[in-house]
Amino acid sequence: MATELPVNGTIEERNAQFNVKAGLARMLKGGVIMDVVNAEQARIAEEAGAVAVMALERVPADIRAQGGVARMSDPKLIKEIMEAVTIPVMAKARIGHFVECQILQALGVDYIDESEVLTPADNTHHVVKHGFKAPFVCGCRNLGEALRRISEGAAMIRTKGEAGTGDVVEAVKHMRTVNAEIRKAVGMSDEELYVYAKDIGAPFDLLKETVKLKRLPVVNFAAGGVATPADAAMMMQLGCDGVFVGSGIFKSGDPAKRAKAIVQAVTHFNDPKVLAEVSSDLGEAMVGLNVDKLAASELLAARGW
Amino acid sequence: MSPTAITETSSEKKAAVVGVLALQGAFQEHVQLLRKAAAQITSTYELSFTLVKTTAQLAQCSALVIPGGESTTMALIAERCALLEPLREFVKVARRPTWGTCAGMILLSESANRTKKGGQELIGGLDVRVNRNHFGRQVESFSVPLQLRFLGEGEKPFTGVFIRAPVVEAVLPRGDARVVAVRQGNVLGCSFHPELTGDVRMHKWWLETVIEDLKRREKLGGSV
Repeated sequence: MATELPVNGTIEERNAQFNVKAGLARMLKGGVIMDVVNAEQARIAEEAGAVAVMALERVPADIRAQGGVARMSDPKLIKEIMEAVTIPVMAKARIGHFVECQILQALGVDYIDESEVLTPADNTHHVVKHGFKAPFVCGCRNLGEALRRISEGAAMIRTKGEAGTGDVVEAVKHMRTVNAEIRKAVGMSDEELYVYAKDIGAPFDLLKETVKLKRLPVVNFAAGGVATPADAAMMMQLGCDGVFVGSGIFKSGDPAKRAKAIVQAVTHFNDPKVLAEVSSDLGEAMVGLNVDKLAASELLAARGW
Repeated sequence: MSPTAITETSSEKKAAVVGVLALQGAFQEHVQLLRKAAAQITSTYELSFTLVKTTAQLAQCSALVIPGGESTTMALIAERCALLEPLREFVKVARRPTWGTCAGMILLSESANRTKKGGQELIGGLDVRVNRNHFGRQVESFSVPLQLRFLGEGEKPFTGVFIRAPVVEAVLPRGDARVVAVRQGNVLGCSFHPELTGDVRMHKWWLETVIEDLKRREKLGGSV
């Protein structure tokens, strides 16, 4: 998959407001977005060189361990994090919970993540994101899901992976699936493309644009299970534009050092010598859960429609 | 014209490399527009474009673009890659043409407000003070038509895309201003993102100033 996202694709030409939303995602490219649960962690992330932070009450590993319904974070916590750092602050809303999205926009959050990591609020619909001034990022496991989210107004996509596991296997699977489906679509005639659009549940015009660009028409980050500089660099080499790191940093032995190393790894993702250097002596990685030991009901990536 | 003559003409063209700093941010977008712009310019130079992540790559460049992105991130990575001093040399000692957009303009300023706690490293070169995130957060971001000085009379305005954008709030040592594009000697900065429009005019204009600089250096007997 080509990693170059052409300037001024047709969806951006259609809508100046969308260009401003998708433009911020372009500014985040080649960067690392880190999950943080308080102002102190946000400062550590900023000092490490994060391009943005995701403000959360609990990192996915704890949501998994503690169970219960996971909701939008307390606005007070989000505000504290916004005051602590000058980089963009993102926050998560439950799938379909448009009022949580309204609240996050009112707080002035820079990006809203309609996220499967929280417990879904609607088991049929996603939020219609066009009307919001705040841009949205959404998760996907495959091309159809990515294009459905863009069709609803998402200005940025992340492959889901399996959050809170420290196991990169699902992130790789989702990235490879998106890439393979794009390659498949690129070889198709228009007649075949209409059928393929129906099969994968994607709007035809966005599928057509994807074929033209030979990549997703918006910025795409990897997420869900990235725990080491090597994980991050692998996702970059697979063609994503940047990386989300959730539990991988603050569930590790030396968060500041690991965070810096992952930032360096994303910049120099093609330089194994630099990767060897930054991977050295990072202390303990997060313990991690093997995805194949999880019950199907425990998989977060399956949430989203 | 014989084929040999064609080869001779093209071999007379001097090669010059324009770099785009690629530590983080929208560097690919600049490369796309620079390539498009170069195709519209005829000169005695064969321009090529390269991503710059190391000192060795910077050393090949005759001019440099510092893209939009997160200025704190770029400054921290540059520091850790030992690129800050070579960048300062490039801009302030070798006085090579350098253009910073948004975060790039912040890095090219001598002074910046509303930086992260503890401040941030800057490259400098523009005697101005910028105010980061001047217009506010992402929900206050916007695009607006701009009349820029390099545009000819009656030309359609340039779309300025402002994303969590800075402005020049003081031209040092004088004081108050509210400027979105500024040039001092070899250094150009702008608050907005020409790399987010399909409009190639600003890149073309800047490349023409780069070519002027190359010619001047050649006349003075310096290296291109």
